[in-house]
Amino acid sequence: MAVVKLQNLIKVYGSALAVKGVNLDIPEGAFTVFVGPSGCGKTTTLRMIAGLESISHGDLLMDGERVNDLPSRERGVAMVFQSYALYPHKTVRQNLEFSLKLEKLPQAEIDRRIDEAVSVLELQPYLDRKPAALSGGQRQRVAMGRAIVRQPKVFLFDEPLSNLDAKLRNQMRVEIKQLQRRLGVTTVYVTHDQVEAMTMADLIVVMRDGRIEQTGSPIDVFERPANEFVAGFIGTPQMNFIDGSISDDGKAVLPSAGIELQLPEGRFDLPALRQRAVRLGFRPEDIVPDGHGIPIENGQNITAPVTFSEMLGNETLLFGRLGENDFVSRMQRPRLVERDETLNFRIDLDRIHLFDQETGESLRLPRS
Amino acid sequence: MASSIDDLDLKALVAAERRNNRPNWPLAVLALVISAVWIVPFYYMATSIFKTTEEYSQNHPLSLPASWHPVIENAVTAWTNAKMASGLLNSMLYSTVGAGLAVFIAALAAYGLTRFDFRGRNLWFMLIFSGTVFPLQMYLIPLFFTYQGLNLLNTHAGMLIFYTAICIPFPVLVLRNFMNGLSREMDEAARMDGAHELTVFLKIILPNCWGPMTATFLLQFTWIWNDLLFSTVLANKTDVRSIMNALQTFQGSYASTGPNVVMTATIIASLPSLILFFLLRRHFMEGMRISTV
Repeated sequence: MAVVKLQNLIKVYGSALAVKGVNLDIPEGAFTVFVGPSGCGKTTTLRMIAGLESISHGDLLMDGERVNDLPSRERGVAMVFQSYALYPHKTVRQNLEFSLKLEKLPQAEIDRRIDEAVSVLELQPYLDRKPAALSGGQRQRVAMGRAIVRQPKVFLFDEPLSNLDAKLRNQMRVEIKQLQRRLGVTTVYVTHDQVEAMTMADLIVVMRDGRIEQTGSPIDVFERPANEFVAGFIGTPQMNFIDGSISDDGKAVLPSAGIELQLPEGRFDLPALRQRAVRLGFRPEDIVPDGHGIPIENGQNITAPVTFSEMLGNETLLFGRLGENDFVSRMQRPRLVERDETLNFRIDLDRIHLFDQETGESLRLPRS
Repeated sequence: MASSIDDLDLKALVAAERRNNRPNWPLAVLALVISAVWIVPFYYMATSIFKTTEEYSQNHPLSLPASWHPVIENAVTAWTNAKMASGLLNSMLYSTVGAGLAVFIAALAAYGLTRFDFRGRNLWFMLIFSGTVFPLQMYLIPLFFTYQGLNLLNTHAGMLIFYTAICIPFPVLVLRNFMNGLSREMDEAARMDGAHELTVFLKIILPNCWGPMTATFLLQFTWIWNDLLFSTVLANKTDVRSIMNALQTFQGSYASTGPNVVMTATIIASLPSLILFFLLRRHFMEGMRISTV
């Protein structure tokens, strides 16, 4: 277990900046997930921690010690790769013991560690098989086993579930999380899938364009997105946005939607926002069709036509139109909705987000 | 329309399918004729080695031999008169060591070309590969005079250096393409597992390259084994000459002993290549596959 500190990490490829100054404290034993769209620098950051990429600038500290120039094998890190990267010519056992043999550990210790990993990961029946004879999920487990046997200070995962089918992915998500809890090893996990990030992380790090946009617990990042990008990236379907401004009496005026919403006290510093151009955001679950879902106390009713709907079984996604704006609403306990049917919706005013139109920064008051 | 799988006339379906697969007789006959023409020289050789010299000169070249045992006498004559033992030994040395070293060095080069990011990577590759572009005969005269200056003419070392060098570019091409297809994450994993560069190469990359390495080894082995031109020019003394060179000399000086003996010698000389192909055929076929896992 280790505390990992990233201090102003920068990575330059050719003349392009891939990572533009990342500062982060990864707490001991925490499951930290880097999430962001492709090309955001999350994998590059992970590979710098792994020692697979040189660090152009900044410091990488593990337990207070600068490890920038240590080769990966001396950093005490183990990695699970996207392609699993198993050695195809070696059996499962040989895959697991490769690192231990290189470490010249006594055979008894090697056997002990392999037995332990094998029982945790239920790999006993496959020990003598080669990777080609394993299923995707089994290969995934071997890749994890290879990381576990080294007893690393830090686990690194690079999109390990992206090659699995949906069902297996859900299953392995739970398994990885449980395993990490059980072993308590500091873990850094990279994914572009925000569902994985939300479900697995103790700490989410949302990245974009080589920078960290927000760091926080999953619920924090979801409930209090620091800016419009995070608000849009976390949550599916994504948050609805409508441009408008704040009136003197604390209403959000949305001319393109033809509505005005009375904003609640306490959530925003309304007097300071007067006449400010804002982007208003609300999540699909916070605009509820009448009679579907939990009744909203502090809400405002609107009517809107539904142009399209997606039946998911347990719920239906309604694609509606508010003036010139499209929005998505989540319909619980769904019923069949006709095309272009006009429905009554209720927007939850206590869950509205406001962002600066220019900078995209959240205008919500900080937690008191 | 109500239709059920039970109502179908299964026999009619089977018959129709069979009709689709019926062989094309005219094409098959044509193929047979071409094959027969192709096979005649082999037949000629295979029958001649079972004939005595008199039998060979008196009968039609394609006639069947009277009995099988003259082959023993032919083989003994060929073996002793052509000094085949030393020729075979030399050729074995040149072919195994030359091709083996060439493929190993090519693997090192391919590893560097696919695993290290350095400037001019492709330029280096093109430089190596250009070795296969020019006609080999071009090297003959400069090589002869250089060898003469270096006292490498008529030496085992000289032949090995030449064969190794000449056999490197082609395996580089094949192995570079193959290694490009091996996931780089695999060697990164090995590096994280604590492997140094040489360990990654020897323990992780090489074992996954046996297929293409065997295939290129066999091809280069056969090339060296069959080479007559360079072995004639660079090494024509009895104790260093290759089997092909020995055969050529034998044909020149012992043609009077009869073509049946020369052909027996030829067959014996081609056996090692054939046996090697047979032993390594599985790896060879694997190596011919372009794609990896």
